[in-house]
Amino acid sequence: MLFVARKNLFSERTRLAISVGGVALSVFLIGILLSLYRGWDKKVGEYVEVVPADLWVASEGATDFIQSASVLPGFLGTQLRFVPETETVSPLIVRPLALSRAGGPQDRKFDVQLVGYDPAIGLGGPLEMVEGKSPPGPGEIIIDEAMSDRYGLQIGDQLLRGTGSLTIVGKSAGGDFVFTQVAFVTLDTAADFLELEPPSQRTFFLLTLKDPTEKEVVAKRLEAAIPGVMFASGEEFADETRDRVLGNVLPMLIVVLMVAFIVGLSIAGLTIYTATVEKSREYGILKAEGFTNRFLYGVVFEQSLVTGALGFLAGAGLTVLLAPFAQDAVPQFVVLIRWQDVASIAAATLLMSLLAAYIPIRRLAKIDPVTVFKG
Amino acid sequence: MPSSEAIVSLQGVTKVYGSGETAVTALHDVSLEAGSGEVVLVMGPSGSGKTTLLTIAGALLKPTRGTVQLCGLNVTEMSETRLASIRREKVGFIYQNFNLLEALTAFENVRLVASNGALDREALRNRSMGLLDTLGLGHRLNALPKQLSDGEKQRVAIARALAKDPALMLADEPTANLDAKRGHDVMELLRQKALEMDKAVVIVSHDYRIRDIADRVVWLEDGRLRTEL
Repeated sequence: MLFVARKNLFSERTRLAISVGGVALSVFLIGILLSLYRGWDKKVGEYVEVVPADLWVASEGATDFIQSASVLPGFLGTQLRFVPETETVSPLIVRPLALSRAGGPQDRKFDVQLVGYDPAIGLGGPLEMVEGKSPPGPGEIIIDEAMSDRYGLQIGDQLLRGTGSLTIVGKSAGGDFVFTQVAFVTLDTAADFLELEPPSQRTFFLLTLKDPTEKEVVAKRLEAAIPGVMFASGEEFADETRDRVLGNVLPMLIVVLMVAFIVGLSIAGLTIYTATVEKSREYGILKAEGFTNRFLYGVVFEQSLVTGALGFLAGAGLTVLLAPFAQDAVPQFVVLIRWQDVASIAAATLLMSLLAAYIPIRRLAKIDPVTVFKG
Repeated sequence: MPSSEAIVSLQGVTKVYGSGETAVTALHDVSLEAGSGEVVLVMGPSGSGKTTLLTIAGALLKPTRGTVQLCGLNVTEMSETRLASIRREKVGFIYQNFNLLEALTAFENVRLVASNGALDREALRNRSMGLLDTLGLGHRLNALPKQLSDGEKQRVAIARALAKDPALMLADEPTANLDAKRGHDVMELLRQKALEMDKAVVIVSHDYRIRDIADRVVWLEDGRLRTEL
């Protein structure tokens, strides 16, 4: 069967190229979108997930790191220090900001998630320093290396907001949220720079517990004891952040993935169908010679599967080859290729191949072998 | 010499296409037999029912009435699957338009039809190559149909029909696309091979020039076997 299928396929190289190209384009689109989504998913939650806190404390209803309007009184930190299960309490001031570089165009703004932390505690500060000094001093800021790469910011540059300015003294890693990056200052610098009123207000508190396995129990107890405040684990908080940031992207992504699948299916289906129609007489000859419908279906299936396999290899290869270049060209193009996703795309391609063969097979079933005797 | 045992036997075969007022009777009560090593030529004008007769004899079409036996098996009421199996094992076809698979070489066209599971890969290869060689196509094994002359195509078609070692060979206007000499040569070759390999051969044609290769010639007109010539 494979012999006939392969011969039929490769005898029409232009059609094969179109068919494989269609599947490859579809696989490429699906692959690149899926890996882009995975890349974003990883980046967006990474900082929150990696910060070694057992519990995140926020205003009730403020469930994510990026868009939360959490406002907590400073004295809550003192209260939390008296909780017997608590080991460390670290206050954070977090605000999304648009900054510009001194000496650069004023209309060129950089989105930053400013994090004010207590350098004496360290929890919630830079995850990993790659250059410069840490902790920052008054009026100083540590930016993420992704922000430095993206906007060409260097140590010594000054970032402006209104009349306030911050001097870059270091670069850290692990704070890239794709469309914004975390930048670190001290709590006092944050309160001054943001002109907080009262300056003691905080956005979050990070807690470490003496027994981290107790975090669910502690969270429930504290939520009951302190109205208007919520306690969440790092994983929960990271998931909420991902949902908030990527939740609007996901439905669009699913639609585009479906369109990509339909494009691949349509091109493969049409080319296999036209190939089957053109070869109707030859399939009739095989029927006359006593080959069963099952054999003929097998030939069409194999053509479809070979097309799908070639398209998958070409599309997956393109994804793997082009993704790093795209990432270099567009910093927001953060991709993560997982073997599970490659397997899923392979399964989708298999489904595409089977569906593409369905209509041609229905046509095959109707071919009357007697017609081959008509001149 | 033809043997007395009938490989194919049509008894009282009638074929009606359509129904009611639009019904057309293609064959009227036709009876015909062909035995091993016998070449029967069915002649007649266009539209006389020759191809219908051939397709019924080849288990491709069921008669409206009458019975058809192939190698002693009554194929009249067999299922499509069983008929396909009978065709695969016992019937070799030679077509007017050669009907070779365009993507396959001469050798592959023959080997594909020969691959009915009875032979291993090596035997299959040897048989296919041997047949093409004896038909004078040993040097054209890897040629695609579009690279072959019409005469060569028809010889490949004969090799393909012989490849599965069928008891019965059916040829539909096999010389229609060949010039007189080449047509005759090819039919002579078919007759020679059929005799060597003890096949029953039924040829339908309106080419009077090939009548000398047949052991028996019958005349079909308006769906009726008129005379044995």
